[in-house]
Amino acid sequence: MNALERLKQLLERDFAIPAASLDASATLESLDIDSLRLIEIVFAVEDEFKVTMPQDQGEIRGRVKTLGDLANLIEGLAGAKAAG
Amino acid sequence: MKRVAVTGMGAITPLGNDVDSFFEALAAGRSGVKRLEGPGNERLDHRVAAPVAFDPLPLFDAAKLRMLDRVSQFALAAAAQAVKDSGATFDESGRARCGVCVGTGMAGAQSADDGYRTLYAENSDRLKPFTVLMAMNNAPASWIGLEYGLSGPNLTYSTACSSSAVAIGEAARRIATGEADVMIAGGAEACLNLGTLKAWEAMRTLAVEDARDPSASCKPFAKDRTGLVLGEGAAMLVLEDRDRALARGAPIHAEIAGYGLVTDAAHITRPSVEGQAAAMRAALADARLDPKDIGYINAHGTGTQANDGVETAAIKAVFGETAYNVPVSSTKSMHGHLLGAAGAVELVAAILAMRRGRIPPTRNLLIPDPECDLDFVSSGARDSPGLAAVLSSSFAFGGTNAVLIARRHI
Repeated sequence: MNALERLKQLLERDFAIPAASLDASATLESLDIDSLRLIEIVFAVEDEFKVTMPQDQGEIRGRVKTLGDLANLIEGLAGAKAAG
Repeated sequence: MKRVAVTGMGAITPLGNDVDSFFEALAAGRSGVKRLEGPGNERLDHRVAAPVAFDPLPLFDAAKLRMLDRVSQFALAAAAQAVKDSGATFDESGRARCGVCVGTGMAGAQSADDGYRTLYAENSDRLKPFTVLMAMNNAPASWIGLEYGLSGPNLTYSTACSSSAVAIGEAARRIATGEADVMIAGGAEACLNLGTLKAWEAMRTLAVEDARDPSASCKPFAKDRTGLVLGEGAAMLVLEDRDRALARGAPIHAEIAGYGLVTDAAHITRPSVEGQAAAMRAALADARLDPKDIGYINAHGTGTQANDGVETAAIKAVFGETAYNVPVSSTKSMHGHLLGAAGAVELVAAILAMRRGRIPPTRNLLIPDPECDLDFVSSGARDSPGLAAVLSSSFAFGGTNAVLIARRHI
């Protein structure tokens, strides 16, 4: 399963976000993910994918506008870790 | 100065999670004290406490619940009851004149304990993302303010065991001076976690479990008292400018008539007759009442050797000969010591006693102490119709003594 699919499962299971609203182009805003919710999601993502997300929330917000962006960021971090 | 009406009350207690079941249990002399079961508690030397049976799931959605320490859950639940009881609504134009005062001793102690467990016991750096938000001392008050959109003063008082009496007194002052129209005021505590319980054990002030009946372990004013029993819970009151309450036809349960605040400035733990007496005198003066006007005292009555003798002497110092005529009880014998929430829970008990003409007893007072020789209502609740004014005392580690007087509304 790719990162996007796993991320969707995580958001549906742990954050009660309806599956129907979860696709790659969905923006964080459209999913009601505010700054506090994003902190929780970052924490859950780190546990689920065994990655370390950037400490700087501004950096995450800058790089992640949509669910697809978040999946790409995770894949990039996981790939870097695997390569390293 | 404006008069301050109590238009709403709510309570989450070891004796029930609304004011009616709370008072019913008090009047019946039922105890919420029990032996703590569950993992970890076998490490306790003093295993009796007064826990609350509380299910937060029907009250909060999952996302919000992840941000709420147990203490904030209690605070919000009690505030919701109080607001509903008062029928108060907070429209946009008036919200700036409405605020919150909450007293708490240990606030988010459970979340702090959980965090330390993760960090030190599990040796993990993965602390929960909202540990700070959950543990911060002002969380209970802040959540209440957010819930109702109140943009007036939002304050948290922490003066140990007098925290919520102070919160209510200070909130009443803001209404009396015209600074605020409505204040949600009270206290919340959720301190029955292993770290807090072990710390209290180390103070050597907790009651020994009664060998025959654990629920009888807290024995205020009794010769065989061995210490206090910790409890948890919350009580909130809606305090309101009386004219405003009358204009909207609100129920008025009582008036906050007097507030006395005097600090011992003598010793960090040892109570003082002078300090306690001065706080009672200050409350009486504030209410413009004489000792003979007080029909019931809900005592601080912790069940410790140190407090109960001193408190008896302080009541005598203030009330003189009438000290022997005023019924005094410690409801801590049934709900335990709720620390920062104690003053609020006990004021609710005192107001309900006045409203319903029934004085709750001091449970477990079977062996009188010659040093504690007042009328402690030790053989069950007493019918006492026509109570006109009641006094509730809260004395604290640190020495901040707070006394509240509630008067029947006429």
